[in-house]
Amino acid sequence: MENANERKEILDGLIEVLRTVRTIDPARLEGVTEETDFLTDMNTPSTELINIAAKVEQKFDIEFEDEDIDRMGSKVKDVIDLIIMVKERGANN
Amino acid sequence: MIVAGRKVAVVGMGGAFPTCKDLDDFDKKLFAGESMIREWPKTLQYPKQIRSTVAGYITEPEMNLEAIHPVPETEWPETYVDHLGRIPDMNLSTADLGCVWAMLGAQESIAMAGWTKEETESEQTGVVIASGGGGNVVSRHAWHAFYELGKKTRMAGSHTVDRAMSYREAANVSCLIKNKGVCESIISACATGLGNIGYAYRLIRFGLQDRAICGGVEGTALETFIGFDAMQVLSKGFAPAESSRPFDINRNGFVCSFGAGIVALEEYEMAKARGANILAVIDEYFNNSDGDGNMFYPSYDGQRRLWKGLMAGGNVKPDVVKVHGTATPVGDILELVSVAESIGESGYHITAPKSQFGHMLGAAGSVEFITALLMLKNQKVLPNKNSDTLNTELENFQKKPDWNGPTKPASEYRHLISQDIVDKEINQIVCLNYGFGGTNSAMAISRDI
Repeated sequence: MENANERKEILDGLIEVLRTVRTIDPARLEGVTEETDFLTDMNTPSTELINIAAKVEQKFDIEFEDEDIDRMGSKVKDVIDLIIMVKERGANN
Repeated sequence: MIVAGRKVAVVGMGGAFPTCKDLDDFDKKLFAGESMIREWPKTLQYPKQIRSTVAGYITEPEMNLEAIHPVPETEWPETYVDHLGRIPDMNLSTADLGCVWAMLGAQESIAMAGWTKEETESEQTGVVIASGGGGNVVSRHAWHAFYELGKKTRMAGSHTVDRAMSYREAANVSCLIKNKGVCESIISACATGLGNIGYAYRLIRFGLQDRAICGGVEGTALETFIGFDAMQVLSKGFAPAESSRPFDINRNGFVCSFGAGIVALEEYEMAKARGANILAVIDEYFNNSDGDGNMFYPSYDGQRRLWKGLMAGGNVKPDVVKVHGTATPVGDILELVSVAESIGESGYHITAPKSQFGHMLGAAGSVEFITALLMLKNQKVLPNKNSDTLNTELENFQKKPDWNGPTKPASEYRHLISQDIVDKEINQIVCLNYGFGGTNSAMAISRDI
């Protein structure tokens, strides 16, 4: 069972990352939840998603496989799921 | 081809100029005879690797910009912040530094032209802008992260293409102003600035567009400087203000500089009909190639043919010739005698504005075109700073057996080359620029009277 605190910490870290992305309107970061969609709710340009992924890797000290990113959905919870999965994958290796 | 009755007016200008906060500041410093060349702190970080240490550089804060460095120990700018809010963040995210300057210059040019939103966004409005070099500052990080650090390609950022591609300035300006006409770049080394204006002029003169935003850019980049420093063609050994010395016997290279010159062109009758302030009328544009197979060495024959082409319409008799005049050992005097041979030895003045701000490479032709517009406005000829001593002996190229040009030394042309500002009636100016590869370009502009 995933730890709710862990998900909250990752969400907070993710929002910190998003605040450094200048093409995302800071007003849209108020009230972000796991259900928020990067593309439809935050109006994030699709070209920025790969930059966000790279920033997430640096922030959480992880490295995604190319396939991870190919499969990643556009909701906040998809990114959190992926971060947890990659972290666990790293711990098991 | 040329459509009878169509003329082209210059109706706006703007850009980025070393040490200047805006176009007005540039105008003031130029006609106060000031130098915009400084010792460049960035070169001093590599004292054992770099020969020349002077430049006409522009920092981000000087343009009210801030580079965001996500990895503090690198110089890679992830994006720029515009502290004056002139350019939206979305447009900044696809721009390297030169693109930001181009967008600012485009905004200024359109504001000065007084074009409406509909006119700017029209199918009849084109964008023709380029720079001489690549997006070196952005590329360097991408290559380093991939090859040296072994990182995934995404660590180079998802904007490496749009921020470093060859026509990035035109693309960024077009996305900012949302014109629906052509969007292209004409790239021809140090003739780029004038070449883009010349191409845009033809688009309007040939009836393909009614308006154009055009010009040349060279964003501050040590990477660009390094290439020329390696060729040992940069000025060395003089105080900054004395380091750009066109025509002077002690000249030993050009000063590598950066900047942006953007202008707004419009079909003359349309501009006139809406009461636009006409900065100049473009009389002619002509360009050609040396055809001698030499990448670097200037060609007397190429420049003579350039003048012949420019004057073919019988409407070119300049009061001022704004030369390329880089202050390299061969180029200046060869250019000087080609002008004298083409239009005579009196009745005009020669000016080499690089003496005040150095050689802006891809921006040189367009920023110097702006100096010509300012000379028309102010009715003053800019000085040839530091042209203190002219050679009283023939140049080596004049001593060759196959030389068929003038056999007078540079000192015989002193009356054409003033070290001070000259007040006089100026009705027409010819602008000359050349580039590696043997490309030559010439444009004649006149006052609208």
